[in-house]
Amino acid sequence: MLRGSRSFHAGRGIMVLALALVAFGLTGCGARKLGSGEPVFWPPDPNPPRVQFLKGISASKDVTGDKASVKILSLSNEEEDTNKIIAKPYGIASNKGRIYVVDTIQNNVAIFDLVKQTYEILPGSKGQGKLKKPINIAVASDGNVFVADTFRKEVMMYDEMGNFVRAYGKDIQMKPVDVAVDDKNIYALDISNNEIKVIDRQSGDLAGSIGKGSETQQGLSLPTNLTMDKDGYLYVTNAGTGKVVKLDRDGHIVHTFGGLGDSFGEFGRPRGISVDDKGRIYVADASHQNVQIFNETGRILMFFGDPGYVYESLNLPAGVMVIRDNLDYFQKLAAPNFILEEVIVVTNQFGPVKVSFYGLGQMKDFKGYDNIPKPAPKGKGDAEGKK
Amino acid sequence: MKMLAFVPFALAALLLTSAGNARGDSCVTSACHVEISKIAVPHAPVKDGDCASCHNAVSKEHPIKGGKSFQLAAKGGALCTGCHDGLASKKLVHAPVKGGECVACHKPHGSSGRFLLDKGDDQNPLCTGCHDQATFQQRFMHGPAAVGSCTECHDPHQSQEKALLKQNVRDTCLRCHSDFANQLKAAAFQHPPVKKDPCTICHDPHGSGVPMFLVKKMPDLCISCHAPIGKKIAEAKVLHKPIKSEAGCSSCHSSHFSKAKGLLAFTEMETCLSCHGTDKPPLKNIKKEIANKKYLHGPLKNGECKGCHDPHGSNYFRMLGGSYPETLYAPYKDGLYDACLKCHEKNLLRFADTTIYTKFRNGNRNLHYVHVVNSRKGRTCRVCHAPHASSGEKLINVEGVQFGEWKVPLNFKTTATGGSCAPGCHRPLAYNRDKAEDYSIK
Repeated sequence: MLRGSRSFHAGRGIMVLALALVAFGLTGCGARKLGSGEPVFWPPDPNPPRVQFLKGISASKDVTGDKASVKILSLSNEEEDTNKIIAKPYGIASNKGRIYVVDTIQNNVAIFDLVKQTYEILPGSKGQGKLKKPINIAVASDGNVFVADTFRKEVMMYDEMGNFVRAYGKDIQMKPVDVAVDDKNIYALDISNNEIKVIDRQSGDLAGSIGKGSETQQGLSLPTNLTMDKDGYLYVTNAGTGKVVKLDRDGHIVHTFGGLGDSFGEFGRPRGISVDDKGRIYVADASHQNVQIFNETGRILMFFGDPGYVYESLNLPAGVMVIRDNLDYFQKLAAPNFILEEVIVVTNQFGPVKVSFYGLGQMKDFKGYDNIPKPAPKGKGDAEGKK
Repeated sequence: MKMLAFVPFALAALLLTSAGNARGDSCVTSACHVEISKIAVPHAPVKDGDCASCHNAVSKEHPIKGGKSFQLAAKGGALCTGCHDGLASKKLVHAPVKGGECVACHKPHGSSGRFLLDKGDDQNPLCTGCHDQATFQQRFMHGPAAVGSCTECHDPHQSQEKALLKQNVRDTCLRCHSDFANQLKAAAFQHPPVKKDPCTICHDPHGSGVPMFLVKKMPDLCISCHAPIGKKIAEAKVLHKPIKSEAGCSSCHSSHFSKAKGLLAFTEMETCLSCHGTDKPPLKNIKKEIANKKYLHGPLKNGECKGCHDPHGSNYFRMLGGSYPETLYAPYKDGLYDACLKCHEKNLLRFADTTIYTKFRNGNRNLHYVHVVNSRKGRTCRVCHAPHASSGEKLINVEGVQFGEWKVPLNFKTTATGGSCAPGCHRPLAYNRDKAEDYSIK
């Protein structure tokens, strides 16, 4: 931004330059241009950077390239047909580099691959498999896709190709808002009953309900989102209590953390949740408009995506997931020497970017937090020097 | 004929020599300065009878009663430096040399020993004339200091090195300890100070009250650098006893260099078993306990004892890395079984029913929970499992468990879906994960 101001005003003398700088100062660091090219990191200086904004997507052309712009000249409606926008995304999932984004306005699922530059709409969402109000999505280890639909009050299953297979829950009283799957069961998060419905994948029968509290433990309360970690533990965000509840598949509440509030580690409206292979827990918050990262014991590590940037900040974040697929592709988007470990993908219900990609990593020469040189204490000499 | 040409020169030489001797002879006679003639190792001018090289006559009469007819040719050190030049040119000069007090150490006419020193080979009496005697009378003495070979290490006049050492500290030490130097070079692991620092960081080169004339006793010496270990042993409720023994840290560690990681004297397990592999009560013979056992506890399989025990000490029973009950019965509480559960499933004992955390269950009933989370008689892990090794899978005590004087049998068997137990604890019972056994007595 600063560099741009200087070149624009180059011929008008120092006064104009000074005015431009004042203007820059007034607009503040939050007013970045769309994709200004300067890396945006969290946490901010002088902390060592750990998360970088990498890329934003809001329509198919962001994935397939700018092919649509040529067709505008034909003055037809082809552009709309060709450039499929993502209107209001919520749930997000991935499988082998393919990313699934649930659109709750268009009632479909966008499936795209950034490396292969492909973009399609879930083909099975028609006829019996038609989605009415899809919210969240999960992909099983066998590649089958499960979508929680709150209007149909069912969990819809599609195969790896996106063809409709079957719907679960017709005879089960529930309003599924999110879903997780293992090889045996479907875990449908039932917001209306504050519990998780465990449905046998084979028979479609209800195998049990878990997540209710006990005399000594508070259970789920207005649960909105659900994820399963690599060890099979379930994590649920609760709008009612602001807590993250970790359960095992038997329904035992193993751990609880968070709460309603605006302090670090607390939530306003906790939503999407994801756990990486190292046990780090990522929770999107629509109220704080950020993603907070916790360690496996629920201790907050950092947060990112807070308002301040037009393009790089989150806007009503909803779903979050962590991926390690196509890391080479994302590494090319990262700042030089910022080495990525994994990529955090967040959906935004509002704003210019509907799917935001952030890289978690660290600078190549980072030697650990113990080796950060401490700033020199400000002595009298400094103050006098400034006079 | 030619020979005759040399005769005058030879005569002149003879004359001069005899004249010199004649002067000396005139000083040292049976009546005068007779003690000079008795000196075993005379100063060269004395030997040559060249008294006048140092003493000048100031009066024709000699001796003068109540007066001096001779005076020294120069004052202080200047008298000596006329011949012995360059003894005060280096960075550090021994104080008497600097002050021209050569006679503080040397006998100017001669002495009973070499170098005009009167004390023989043991230089201690000479040096301790000024230097503190206590330094050289320690319980444990460095060889050269013990026998008074001070000048093996120190130059008595001057040096470029501190403490008037002939070379820098390391080189001074290694010129005798050459064998050590070779071993150090070849060793896989070297203690960093030994590798680069002066030996005097740890050792007092003269001697001290501590074996190996260390500057402090162990472990105090070691923890002056290894502070976290110091903190640990200061606070540990259960301390590894050798640390406080005379051998201190070197009971387990080789202080200079080692073939094994952690500067241990041997590999980790060999080091531990060198004490814990003997029949010396109160120590158990772990070597015997694990010998010929089919199954070793995971860390032991990797040759590690420190997987469970903290070798310096800890706040827990048997220096374990976490809490573990000392008693046979201890109902489960959060944290009480951390020593085991820091590796094993953390939720093993939290829930009465499970399908996840253990295969030892009847239906979904968690039988680990049944045994351990019993408010009156929670059985500790050791009742069924051996901590180090066993011939049975899952380290089950196949030979039974010692219960006072009785070795209680377990008779534990497994099947594809469960197993059974016919122990000295209860009636024979089976368990089945898929189809729960009915335990009610019909």
